[in-house]
Amino acid sequence: MAARGHVQDPNDRRLRPIYDYLDNGNNKMAIQQADKLLKKHKDLHCAKVLKAIGLQRTGKQDEAYALAQEVAALEPTDDNSLQALTILYREMHRPELVTKLYEAAVKKVPNSEEYHSHLFMAYARVGEYKKMQQAGMALYKIVPKNPYYFWSVMSLIMQSISAQDENLSKTMFLPLAERMVEKMVKEDKIEAEAEVELYYMILERLEKYQEALDVVRGKLGEKLTSELQSRENKCMAMYKKLCRWPECNALSRRLLLKNSDDWQFYITYFDSVFQLIDESWAPPLEEEQSLEGEVHYSIEQAVKFIEERITEESKSARPLRGPYLAKLELIRRLRCRGCNDEYKLGDPEELMFQYFKKFGDKPCCFTDLKVFVDLLPSSQYTKFISQLLEVIPLSATAESEVALPADIKALQQHLCVVQLTRLLGIYHAMDKKEKLTAVRELMLRYRHGLEFGEETAVWQCLTFLEEGLSHSPSNAQFKLLLIRIYCRLGAFEPVAELYSSLDAKHIQHDTIGYLLTRYAESLGHYAAASQSCNFALRFFHSNQKDTSEYIIQAYKYGAFEKIPEFIAFRNRLNSSLHFAQVRTERMLLDLLLEANISTSLEESIKSMSLSPEEDDIPWKDLRDNRDLTVLFNWDPKDRDISEEHRKLSLEEETMWLRIRSLTLRLVSGLPTLSHTIQPKNSEETAENGVSSKIDTIRSLLQQLEAAVDSGKKFLEQKIQYPVLGPPPTRMAGFFSNGSCQCQTSLFYLVSDIYELDTNGLEDSAEIQERIGNSFKSLIERLTDLFNKCKGDLIEVRDGTLKTQPNLLENLVFFVETISITLWVSSYCDSVLRPFKSNLQKKKKKKKESSVAMPPVFTHFLDYVTELQTLTSNVIDHIKGLEIILTALKLEELSLKDTLLLQEEKKFTKTVQGKVQSSYHHSVQEIGELLKKRLDTIKKLKI
Amino acid sequence: MTSLRAFTCDDLFRFNNINLDPLTETYGIPFYLQYLAHWPEYFIVAEAPGGELMGYIMGKAEGSVAREEWHGHVTALSVAPEFRRLGLAAKLMELLEEISEKKGGFFVDLFVRVSNQVAVNMYKQLGYSVYRTVLEYYSASNGEPDEDAYDMRKALSRDMEKKSIIPLPHPVRPEDIE
Repeated sequence: MAARGHVQDPNDRRLRPIYDYLDNGNNKMAIQQADKLLKKHKDLHCAKVLKAIGLQRTGKQDEAYALAQEVAALEPTDDNSLQALTILYREMHRPELVTKLYEAAVKKVPNSEEYHSHLFMAYARVGEYKKMQQAGMALYKIVPKNPYYFWSVMSLIMQSISAQDENLSKTMFLPLAERMVEKMVKEDKIEAEAEVELYYMILERLEKYQEALDVVRGKLGEKLTSELQSRENKCMAMYKKLCRWPECNALSRRLLLKNSDDWQFYITYFDSVFQLIDESWAPPLEEEQSLEGEVHYSIEQAVKFIEERITEESKSARPLRGPYLAKLELIRRLRCRGCNDEYKLGDPEELMFQYFKKFGDKPCCFTDLKVFVDLLPSSQYTKFISQLLEVIPLSATAESEVALPADIKALQQHLCVVQLTRLLGIYHAMDKKEKLTAVRELMLRYRHGLEFGEETAVWQCLTFLEEGLSHSPSNAQFKLLLIRIYCRLGAFEPVAELYSSLDAKHIQHDTIGYLLTRYAESLGHYAAASQSCNFALRFFHSNQKDTSEYIIQAYKYGAFEKIPEFIAFRNRLNSSLHFAQVRTERMLLDLLLEANISTSLEESIKSMSLSPEEDDIPWKDLRDNRDLTVLFNWDPKDRDISEEHRKLSLEEETMWLRIRSLTLRLVSGLPTLSHTIQPKNSEETAENGVSSKIDTIRSLLQQLEAAVDSGKKFLEQKIQYPVLGPPPTRMAGFFSNGSCQCQTSLFYLVSDIYELDTNGLEDSAEIQERIGNSFKSLIERLTDLFNKCKGDLIEVRDGTLKTQPNLLENLVFFVETISITLWVSSYCDSVLRPFKSNLQKKKKKKKESSVAMPPVFTHFLDYVTELQTLTSNVIDHIKGLEIILTALKLEELSLKDTLLLQEEKKFTKTVQGKVQSSYHHSVQEIGELLKKRLDTIKKLKI
Repeated sequence: MTSLRAFTCDDLFRFNNINLDPLTETYGIPFYLQYLAHWPEYFIVAEAPGGELMGYIMGKAEGSVAREEWHGHVTALSVAPEFRRLGLAAKLMELLEEISEKKGGFFVDLFVRVSNQVAVNMYKQLGYSVYRTVLEYYSASNGEPDEDAYDMRKALSRDMEKKSIIPLPHPVRPEDIE
């Protein structure tokens, strides 16, 4: 707990035991102790707040809140109460209440620096920028310390950043901020580096680049010392903005003389040289060439400069890549301008060869050269590769059919050549036999080439990778590849283990969590799916509170430029695509596993605070934070993940999310239609209550239809992502196996049943007929869906192992669809039941046996019976799958795979065993859930 | 061929190739934000021309000036596997030392697992020496015993007599260090 005022205060002594209990997590004792104390000292408000903290932590939020408000209403001004309330409100996620608290406190104690500063921070936590500006000034008036003044200035900048109206931000907030700083400059009151940084930030945002430059180069600029090259970097940024190419050039040249390995300055250097050439710039005769000294403005000078860097490099203790790559970059730029080899820089092929000789044993040689392969004519690819191979010391040994590298250095070099071979597309041009030979060869070199296509190749990949992992147990790339390939095979069990061994956490839940969440649920590993959603959600939820804390820290330390950065970061996390996905899928999953099994659908929905009207997904601002390049890729450009792929994948994910979110909202609307919640005792309630609910449902249904349509259109493009690129969504399966049709028709049925409900049984023959037909076609569709689940998950055919992982995905969709069917059916049941009991009452009164049963009752009963039969059949099918999977003795299987060595076959067995066990696990979880669903059908017999 | 620049929040979304290394810890967001808010100049990332993140260093300045304990501290230093053997770690350490020099620090220090011989040797080559051993500094999660750390130091020019790096005769407990 926070620091506690003066030790002498008797109240502190009295409160201490409560603090201690709270600190030790003993909340019950804290509450008791507080009660005891309050009996003796009724006015010890802080004890009440501490009690409230105890209540909050034991789940009694409402009581805690009430108690806190009691104290807050007294507008306390003692440190203990204020601090305790601040802690409590933070734990309640109600930071806005802290502002109220300190607003009252500063009114009572207007000269307290401490309370004013707490008030400022409280505003900062909730982002009340205007009030921050005022609070900052109020503080400065009480205690004229510079930081307070500049807090106020920064708050103006924040107002300008958050203003919707850009004009307002440029004409009002920023100029005001500028004037505030200018005043301090004139009075010579600027003290700290942070203040200069802030001044620079304002001028930059106002696009007053010349003024910004003057500040940085002037006396104030001397304060910019913390960050390395802070002044130079800022000057450079301004020169660029002002198109001051001579200065850009001279400064980058100077910085390169200092460090000839810094790539960003080569880029600026080249950019500026060519700009100057294009402008036919000539140095002024009298003055200096530029503010930053000597300028290069011809190709000859640039060539000479780069050659000099290479000469210098040869004298340096550690080989530097920069100068050599700069030379290639210069050739590339000259070629773009139509120059061929007028400047005698050399042949790129030869230069790249020399580069390889110098740096080929560095793992980054590949990515370095990748940037420049376009300089090679494609006719030279094969020659280039063999030229590289010739210089690697490989020696044939007695045991091996291929020549192997003699040492680690040679191995690295060889690896680089293999990667370049792949990049140049030489492997892709091979036929299947050549590819397999190449793979074989790579295998012998303990390099794992991956060529997808046939299933046997997939098993081989897994074998090689598992073998690789057994030798290099912490190789993340092996693990990531295994994860992707096991998922393709529909085996999630090994994936969970591999992923957890990556020890991914915190932000990685957002960046690579998709590897888990895309597959866990869709493959029937419900428990694992729940868990991975939970991890991700815990991370996202703590973000809001965490970032606010550090925004405040940034004010305290004067790291002003970090404030907008932190806020942008928080927004980026809050609008994460993955966050929206796990939020939605988590709720769907909870309903799937619990609604009408352990708790009623209505209660489940209430506990999630779900409502059909509410949409909390920031559709327009969704950010794709997935790290799609976490897997290395050595493929040629046209096979690598492109920007286009990213864009399309985000589009697909968003569409699928829209479908899922609408489904969730539609389901959450079901209980609102039932009489049990909204008794239909008067017309008015129907007007304002249920009838508007059905309108919501109908409108959502329309939106769902539209989302499905655009999803289908999207899929017509038949986009193929690269094998290791973004995984496709479940949308294609959802459409092709018929779940989509089933689910939409279910929501239409809801609308019909509602109509029946409002019209009554008489004069509703047409509606009853329609409902009857819907029941029938629904059963047909569900049967079709079941047919798509039939078949063997794994079997041996022609000596190879064949799998059909899509059957698993279809089964999972079946279970989900049947669950929605049952929720809708139970709504149906809730409508029909009162009708039936009314009829029976009438029957008794009239003592007639001839009161006719309306057709909808028979339709419903038939439908429920068929539903029950169908579900039992599916359960039997799943049992069958389980038996086959248990009986399948893969270890006795001798696959006709002549490519594998005896030792490797051991790993093949491991892989097959893992897949088999994972399928078994999936089938079990799916089967158990379906059995629970079957039990709920029995309740539907009206 | 490296661009060195300040680490920003957006880099957190892209540093997987560095952080999936088993010896590199991925911390909670507050930890990174704390460093970015308090010591932004000490958090530097190296970027390759293709845009890949190569490695980063995260550090801080702390300690009492009066007791001559004001110093630069290396909290994390990691280089992605494919960008190793280029001297990048040395370059990043050099930058951190330069900043600490400017701030008038007496020395730079860091903690390293005693088992991480590669790192210990690298730091020795860069002029660091073991100042003391901190017992059970790294807690293990999987039931294995906790691991000791070396507290390694290098004196900066302000500590002319190199008093700050005279090794302590006895190991210390984590709770005894500041």
